[in-house]
Amino acid sequence: MPDAKFTPFNMLALLAGLIFAIFPIFWMVSTSFKLRSEWVTSPPTWVSSAPTVDNYLTILAPQILLDRRGGTQQHGDEGFGGGKDDAAGGAIADFLNRSAWPGIKGSVIISISATILSIVVGLMAAISISRYRFGGNFTPFFILAGRMFPPIAIAIPFVIMFGPGIFDITDTYFGLIVAYAAVTVPFSTWMLKSFVDELPQEIEEAAMMDGYSRWRAHATVTVPLIKGGIIATTLFIFILNWSEFLFALVLTYTNVQTIPVTLNKYFSATEGTLYGVQAALAMVSIIPLIIVGFFIQKHLVRGLTLGAIKR
Amino acid sequence: MAKIKLELVNLRKEFGELVAVNDVSIAIEEGETMALLGPSGCGKTTILNMVVGLETPTGGDILIDGQSVLKVPPGDRNVGLVFQDYAVFTHMTVRRNLAYGLKIRKMKQPEIDREVSKVAEFLSISHQLDHKPSELGASELQRVAIGRTLVTNPEILLLDEPLSNLEAAMRNQMRRELRRIQADTGQTIIYVTHDQIEALSLAHRIAVMDFGSLHQYDTAHNVYQYPANRFVGSFLGNPPMNFLKGKLTEDGGKRIVTSGDSTIPLPAGKLGSDVSVGSDVVVGVRPESLNLAAADDPGRFSVPILAVEPQGPETVVTASFGDSTFKVIVPTGTDAVEGSSISLAPESDLVALFDAESGVRLLDSGERR
Amino acid sequence: MVTNTSNGGASSLGLRKPRRFDPNDKRIIPGLLITPVQILLIVMLIFPFVLEFVISLTEWQPIYGDFWDAFNSVFTQKINQGISYNYLVTDEPRYLQALGRTVIMSVISLCLEFVIGLGLASLFLKKFWGKRVWFTALLTPMMIMPVVVGYTWFMLFQYNGPINQVFGWIAFSPVNFKWLNDATLAFIAVIVTEVWHWTPLFFLIMLSGLNAVPENPIRAATVLGASNFKIFWTIILPNMKAVIIIAFVIRGMEVVKLFDEIYLLTRGGPGTATETISLYLYKLAFEDFRLAYAGSAAFIVLIITVVLINMMLKPIRYQLVEGR
Repeated sequence: MPDAKFTPFNMLALLAGLIFAIFPIFWMVSTSFKLRSEWVTSPPTWVSSAPTVDNYLTILAPQILLDRRGGTQQHGDEGFGGGKDDAAGGAIADFLNRSAWPGIKGSVIISISATILSIVVGLMAAISISRYRFGGNFTPFFILAGRMFPPIAIAIPFVIMFGPGIFDITDTYFGLIVAYAAVTVPFSTWMLKSFVDELPQEIEEAAMMDGYSRWRAHATVTVPLIKGGIIATTLFIFILNWSEFLFALVLTYTNVQTIPVTLNKYFSATEGTLYGVQAALAMVSIIPLIIVGFFIQKHLVRGLTLGAIKR
Repeated sequence: MAKIKLELVNLRKEFGELVAVNDVSIAIEEGETMALLGPSGCGKTTILNMVVGLETPTGGDILIDGQSVLKVPPGDRNVGLVFQDYAVFTHMTVRRNLAYGLKIRKMKQPEIDREVSKVAEFLSISHQLDHKPSELGASELQRVAIGRTLVTNPEILLLDEPLSNLEAAMRNQMRRELRRIQADTGQTIIYVTHDQIEALSLAHRIAVMDFGSLHQYDTAHNVYQYPANRFVGSFLGNPPMNFLKGKLTEDGGKRIVTSGDSTIPLPAGKLGSDVSVGSDVVVGVRPESLNLAAADDPGRFSVPILAVEPQGPETVVTASFGDSTFKVIVPTGTDAVEGSSISLAPESDLVALFDAESGVRLLDSGERR
Repeated sequence: MVTNTSNGGASSLGLRKPRRFDPNDKRIIPGLLITPVQILLIVMLIFPFVLEFVISLTEWQPIYGDFWDAFNSVFTQKINQGISYNYLVTDEPRYLQALGRTVIMSVISLCLEFVIGLGLASLFLKKFWGKRVWFTALLTPMMIMPVVVGYTWFMLFQYNGPINQVFGWIAFSPVNFKWLNDATLAFIAVIVTEVWHWTPLFFLIMLSGLNAVPENPIRAATVLGASNFKIFWTIILPNMKAVIIIAFVIRGMEVVKLFDEIYLLTRGGPGTATETISLYLYKLAFEDFRLAYAGSAAFIVLIITVVLINMMLKPIRYQLVEGR
């Protein structure tokens, strides 16, 4: 628009938007460094008076806290969560139980495996649909159907299907990997399809003229040329898998854990909500997402709109 | 003299380092059509944008009816702009496109209907009124764009390269159409083009621009026949003006230009003060202004022929004048053979003399119209 | 003779004679390429779909023992077939309320996200200091996983949390809204959370839409005297129609699934005030363990979503398939 000036009113609107967007994140960061006594105060504590990393130690290295506790016990009897401002002043057993490593390990294994599965399967489908129009309009929308249903509606039969009567894969990595891949494959197929669509078909045809077979043309021409797109899609699918909660909640018990489930479990710990510890775990879990998200910023729209909007 | 409708006073626009419009001053009379002519990127469109108010000048002033309009918002200047790509509102029917400006002006619906059908009929697009622009051809879109502006009855109509998106056949038709619009409405029109034929055929006056600077602003006839400098001479005309390099000398009280063995006599007229005998000059003469000389013509000169190309009724003869070569059109059947020479005489006073270095016109001769 | 020449031409282009089975055949490749995704979807989508329908005809619960007995009973005995369905739609207000609530919540959230997103996007057409940084900052919420989003707002909405404190400053007196314990406030809290999480996506889509609006019609309208407001309504918005539809359809597909955030924020409470269809199904299946009953409820949802989303996809189907 001609002469579009940034007015003070615009400034105010932008500021309001930024505060709305950033404040909750600030609060989470701030809480993750708060002392136990500052978790629940009235009025609330905005920034800790003595920032501590105990919340992070609780989930990542409980042994350090245990050792320190040993030290204080020699001095006497302040009791857990008493005068000392330990982030997690619960029973000693709780320290060990609250380690987030099982969850982190589960999240990493499942997210990476499911992402790879989803991308490989999706890439093949994307080439088939984009280059050969396989199945006309039906197949792409059939694939999309997997993303349409509320996951809970699929989770109910999953529970039965994964149970002992049929596949018997409840509470296994394999079960979750397949389930995750199934719900993300529509995204990977559609997003990759949009990248293949953008690649002129003539490039592959030129390779075939040079004597390449179709397979080889796809493998050595199509795939390398959309490498950027594949990387972006991979990261995007990773975000989706990493964030998945419901399937892990209903398809696992004790063997397999993921970060979202671990985060949820802290709610029901014996001494109420462990705000600081949860915030620390939340921080640990979203940092990879924010970094990955930052790298694929310009592809986020494409991914989330199934390739309908490119930039 | 008619009333001055629009006046640009030392108008200047800079985009950072780039000077897009360099102190241009132009006055346009009411009811006149003025063409802004120049190669693309010379600042023509920037001038239009400043006149309608889409861009703010860096310096200078724009006067409409003697009043500065710099502080007047675009919609209130009462000028209409037809964009090069038409900028038709693709999501509206032709009818709604035409009515848009009137709705903004809060005109009553029956009145809008009347005006719209009037302008649609005038531009012969009545049958398309209820169609979407996507169903229309290029020239119809052009009419919609013109109609959308005309219907608001602007005091000045600005057309940005109106014919450049049309195919050749359509272009001629639309050019006639524009001339009709111009005659029927008596609009003051500013017409931007890079095509000299369009400018010459449509405009009363032509402003020739290059690199943001105004080179000449005069009537179409004068710009063509009496170019102010070498750029104007070369930009207008097809085939282009011939340029003959030489030295200015005097021969028995008559000014002549010589190069090698050839000489060309110059018409009488006032010579620029800083020009003296012996200066390097360039003679500009249009191919069609050179005729075969009668034996007693005082302006006659002889040059050797390099090539002869018959082209039906006319024959193009390439001749040399010292180091320069030039073309001349003679009737086929003329006695012209390669290697021989040909005697030519410029039409009355249509010989221009330019400074060899600056390209500025040196000789002030002839009747201006 | 002619045939020979064309054969020679073909072989020189590297095309071989068709064999009985040629993996390089244009008819076979697309089929082979699509097979993995089809296997995955048949096992993980179609099969559960059928399974769900079958169990929905039984009264099976995990404590009843082996699933296969119940499965067989569908075919051997005449038990309660379709009774769950009857009951759900006639005598279970909670189910229909959850459906209705999901729709209302989705519509309100999407409209808010659209308005805020479009507003912010139009700011980003102008020039101002630190644009790139603010842009990235505004996008951050949508990169955060839903569980964390739910948990973060759970902290913020505590009665002694910062939101009440800020409201207190504005009102010059302490504010003690029990956000998560009051039916209306909890509903608002869920919407605020959802809007926070997904407005960035609307913002991004709207920004790309705004940037794609051609400039000259806007300039033409300006010269015709249209105000900025008028230009926005008569030129810019109509030009963004396709993008807006895409945004609504695609977000619509996601928002009706809303579960994680609510689960962490309110668990559907207080009472059933924020119980969306996903939460209701979850409670039915995994808190009450009425799997068969939940199955029939879910099956209805599946049918509704397929129909609904197919309707919604219709206007953008072409754009999605063509991809350009």
